Amino acid sequence: MKRFFSDIKKFGNYLVYSARSELKAEVAGSFLSWLWWILDPMLYMLVYSFIAILIFNRPEPHFPVFVFVGLNCWQFFSKTLKASVSIISANRGIVTKVYLPKHMFVLSKMFVLAFKMFVSFALTAVFLVIDCVSGNPVQITFKILYLIPLFALLFLGTFAVSLFVMHFGVFVEDLSNVITVVLQLGFYVSGVFFSLENRLTGDLAILGKILTNVNPLAFIMADMRSVIIGGGELHLVAFAVWFVIASVAAILGIKLIYNFENSYVKVI
Amino acid sequence: MAQPVITVKDVKIRYRYLKKISLIKSVFSLKKFAKTSYFEAVKGVSFEVEKGQILGIVGKNGSGKSTLLRAIAGIFSADEGTIDLHGNSVSLLSIGVGFKRALTGRENIYLSGMLLGFEKDKIDEKMDEIIEFSELGEFIDRPVKTYSSGMHSKLAFSISAILETEIMLIDEVLSVGDAKFKKKSFEKMKSLIKDRNRTVIIVSHSTETLQKLCDNILWIHEGELKMIGPTAEVLPKYNEFMS
Repeated sequence: MKRFFSDIKKFGNYLVYSARSELKAEVAGSFLSWLWWILDPMLYMLVYSFIAILIFNRPEPHFPVFVFVGLNCWQFFSKTLKASVSIISANRGIVTKVYLPKHMFVLSKMFVLAFKMFVSFALTAVFLVIDCVSGNPVQITFKILYLIPLFALLFLGTFAVSLFVMHFGVFVEDLSNVITVVLQLGFYVSGVFFSLENRLTGDLAILGKILTNVNPLAFIMADMRSVIIGGGELHLVAFAVWFVIASVAAILGIKLIYNFENSYVKVI
Repeated sequence: MAQPVITVKDVKIRYRYLKKISLIKSVFSLKKFAKTSYFEAVKGVSFEVEKGQILGIVGKNGSGKSTLLRAIAGIFSADEGTIDLHGNSVSLLSIGVGFKRALTGRENIYLSGMLLGFEKDKIDEKMDEIIEFSELGEFIDRPVKTYSSGMHSKLAFSISAILETEIMLIDEVLSVGDAKFKKKSFEKMKSLIKDRNRTVIIVSHSTETLQKLCDNILWIHEGELKMIGPTAEVLPKYNEFMS
């Protein structure tokens, strides 16, 4: 772990510069392309509103905010994972020419996606204001600060899972197909645009409870919504458990990469 | 004895036959995951390179030359044995460093420099020189994807040649670009190599080039060190062996 932190220090400049220039390239690449960072979740929200209002006939309260929180978290997680599957071969030019701790590829991608996530999170604030103006006020309390540890957990967990995906992605050629299907399932069992607890009722209530409790993303989204919309509490015990699990997984992932990173170049 | 800059001791490098597996194929295949077999590319090589020395590595194709060079560059580690660079900076010069195609030439200079372990200030200092040497002019602020392959290699060469490291490893790249740039890059290469503060290892099949540039030659045969010594001694024997 000491090596990991000294590598972060050593390659920190590279990490930040590479993420910054990737964002800049995206902005410069096409006219108003940055607008898509906002438009993308916005349009998705319209799609899910359509489903929730017309098909489910029962959207969650403060629906735009509800969906935005879910979508932003989910997209950050799923896009990082999808990129990680092939991130080593995508950076073949670097991998075969210089030594760079391979964790940096994941971190750099996370920086880029986190920036986009925060931009579109700003929209959540806009919708909160709209809710207030339209007579549907939200109680915003200091508990909104709980978002900070929740984001930390999201980053740590995403980093840990992505390290494993990156490692196996080098050796398993059809892993990306599997990941796509698993992510699709994950999307529905995490309650991105509906509340698992409110939807799975009656005989299915127990399933809703299980899904919320064994799925860290469902937990993060539920708690984020609760602290933003309802002034709710952070579930401290669950948070602590997930944080410990994510930390252990991240440490194992870091070790796994250090052990194997020098054979990646022999495979790609 | 002069101070050693590179100490390679009993280095063994193995390639596991890590073929990519396919989940779908392994479900339908009876063999499932075949046992991994090993191939030893470098079999216990030891040598030392002193400061300012120019060492050429020769050997037939597949003898482990490039593998050894990459291990010295730190791209992959030795499975056994040690490689000690005594704290010196090292870079492997080969065509086309990992450029990000969407970024401009200038941004790629920063990124490549940082990958080689240079601070931003140091890169700033050398920026103009790199741009001038690369002859890219205003193209330097355009995305690399708009470059021709010649421009691409000119930039790659200029970065490695101007951002000098104490140890330079060269894998068959001695000149790039059009005829004019080829001459210029070969001259630059020669001046870099001949600088007595720098230690250089060159892998090449061109014995003529090695004859001109190197003090010593390391001859590696099927992963084992066959001979190491002054160019005048080793090269003729190698040539005789190969003919």
